[in-house]
Amino acid sequence: MNMDVHRGIASVSVGDEIGPISIPVTLQRLVMEAGANRDFSLIHHDRDVARATGAPDAYMNTFFIAGMFERLLREWMGLKGQLNKIQNLRMKVFNCVGDTVEFKGIVESVDESNNHVAVALSSNTDNGVTVTAIATVTLP
Amino acid sequence: MSEPSWGKYGTWEEAESYLGKVIGEDVGVDAVELGSIRRWLEPKEFDCALHTDRKAANDAGYRDVLAPSTMVFSYGLPAYWSPGDDHAQIGDEPRQIPIPVIFDVPAPCTLSFASNIDMEFFEPMIVGDTITRTSRLASISHKELRVGKGAFMTQEDTYTNQNGEKVAVVLLTIFRFVPPERKEG
Repeated sequence: MNMDVHRGIASVSVGDEIGPISIPVTLQRLVMEAGANRDFSLIHHDRDVARATGAPDAYMNTFFIAGMFERLLREWMGLKGQLNKIQNLRMKVFNCVGDTVEFKGIVESVDESNNHVAVALSSNTDNGVTVTAIATVTLP
Repeated sequence: MSEPSWGKYGTWEEAESYLGKVIGEDVGVDAVELGSIRRWLEPKEFDCALHTDRKAANDAGYRDVLAPSTMVFSYGLPAYWSPGDDHAQIGDEPRQIPIPVIFDVPAPCTLSFASNIDMEFFEPMIVGDTITRTSRLASISHKELRVGKGAFMTQEDTYTNQNGEKVAVVLLTIFRFVPPERKEG
């Protein structure tokens, strides 16, 4: 991460694009993630179990997705920004082994009275939009 | 996007008797520390000095390295095995993550899907902190959808640190339902 990024509220406008960043989903990465976030639900690392529940393959869990949104926002905000909220996070399509998942955002509102910025977040794969959410951050 | 169905079976009256009550509490087994933060950053290719470097954290106004905010879920989890517990055997049921405590509330449902999640962050998680998760049943909203008849059930998880300070509040909503009966012919 560029340590020189210290985004201030005055430099942000509605419609500014954030990212994208992307991550390739492999079974190895899902296993690394499960070990790190300690959600050992089989659907997130056992391909047979995931398929038996109707998913195309093992898929990313909520913690992984929320963490990728945090990375997206942190790389944009710099070290002085604060993540306040991630709301209405909705899974629409599975993010599966073999997918490259792209995460991005767009500034929806800027409130200079309290330095809050609302960001519409989304992720997508070749199958279209997979997750949506709204974040609120505070910038200096 | 349904997940494997599990959860206690019971009546809606039983479910509603849990409204507003604590339905689960766990003290995180591991304190916030650099090794677990590093292993969490690794699969996300997440490079940020706030989470690795004390001086960078100090310069940004924190007293020490802080964990990413969305790592709060992991720091609120108990151990999957502890000294004194029985040893596992082949054929045992897989361990499930204990966060969706909605499934501990009896309800007349056989299937479920996660609807949405809201999270709000307050105090940062600093190296050395220990995190406790307290879950309450916040609401039950009955609804009939195409997949079946049931209710959106929301749990409110409050995460606090060892000083009782609020670290995060997470609302997790799950739709529990029974699918419509199939008509013969």
